[in-house]
Amino acid sequence: MSEHTWALVEMAAGMLAPEEREAVLGDLREANENVFRALVDVFGLYLRRFGVLWSDWRPWLAGFGVALPSCYLLMGVSGSVTCTFLRLMDPSVGHWYWPTGHERVSLLLCHILLLLAWSWTAGFAVGSMSRRTVWVSVGLCLLPLSRACFPIEPLPRLCTFLFLFPAAVGILHGLQGIRLERVMWGALAVVATVLMYVAWSNQALWIYNWALIWPAWYMVASARRNAPVVQSA
Amino acid sequence: MLGEFEYLLITATASPGDEAYGAAIREEIQKNTRRSCSIGALYTTIDRLEQKGLLRTWMGAATPERGGRSKRMVRVTSKGVAAAKDFYQAVTRISQGASWVTGRAGEVS
Repeated sequence: MSEHTWALVEMAAGMLAPEEREAVLGDLREANENVFRALVDVFGLYLRRFGVLWSDWRPWLAGFGVALPSCYLLMGVSGSVTCTFLRLMDPSVGHWYWPTGHERVSLLLCHILLLLAWSWTAGFAVGSMSRRTVWVSVGLCLLPLSRACFPIEPLPRLCTFLFLFPAAVGILHGLQGIRLERVMWGALAVVATVLMYVAWSNQALWIYNWALIWPAWYMVASARRNAPVVQSA
Repeated sequence: MLGEFEYLLITATASPGDEAYGAAIREEIQKNTRRSCSIGALYTTIDRLEQKGLLRTWMGAATPERGGRSKRMVRVTSKGVAAAKDFYQAVTRISQGASWVTGRAGEVS
């Protein structure tokens, strides 16, 4: 195998975990495989590994149970928070079809806190449940992000993406394997649920947004009782 | 009970002793079965057997003929030896009356 074609095989092997890449490339070099057979071997191994990952329920839950629905809902919440903020700044601003209008400053604060909590916990759940398939979950988020699902004229389209930063931080924390004690997850879930109840009582919460609390309660259920406060994997 | 490929892999691993690693095991299987053995099948089966406690693996030294790449060394555990022995005995027992073992002429239609 020439050095050029070998470089192609090495590039393909970049998909594998570092130790496995080392062993596989060494085996292929030793067996002096032709480039086609070597590429088939590398892709075959990668597909088998990928298939094994998806035989677990967690990547499915992370992608289709958390990432995709949360992305849709959080885009709506982001737009809603922006509308409320603008209307509180200037009551003459707004349109009849804006999703909010009767909130006070306290409810706006409640919505902002909920947006942060929902986004971070959803991101954390995705990151911790599907470390090696996280790119699929992130890819699923691109579906709603790529379309103007909540066009709230004349607001800039970017306002529907307020949730992205806390969600990205959550994904990063989940990927890093940061662990919180169950009691801390419990406190976060209880506070978020109480805030949701307050918003719901004031008719400032869309019924489907109740779905956004389940990642927090899932983390309560799955957290280890005596997990170290912060631990990087 | 082991599967056929799992048995082949454990047996091929046990043959070269301490020097068993991915490429050597693959060559041993291909030479004896006259069938192609993909790297994907090899390494996913090694992982599965390691999870069952039948094999133990570790990264070995790099060698020049491998382009300076390390080997993934494999060793059969005592549990693996017992499982392979069980499989071999079952195959031997069930094969006792078969025409290709007894030398009787006969064809099963």
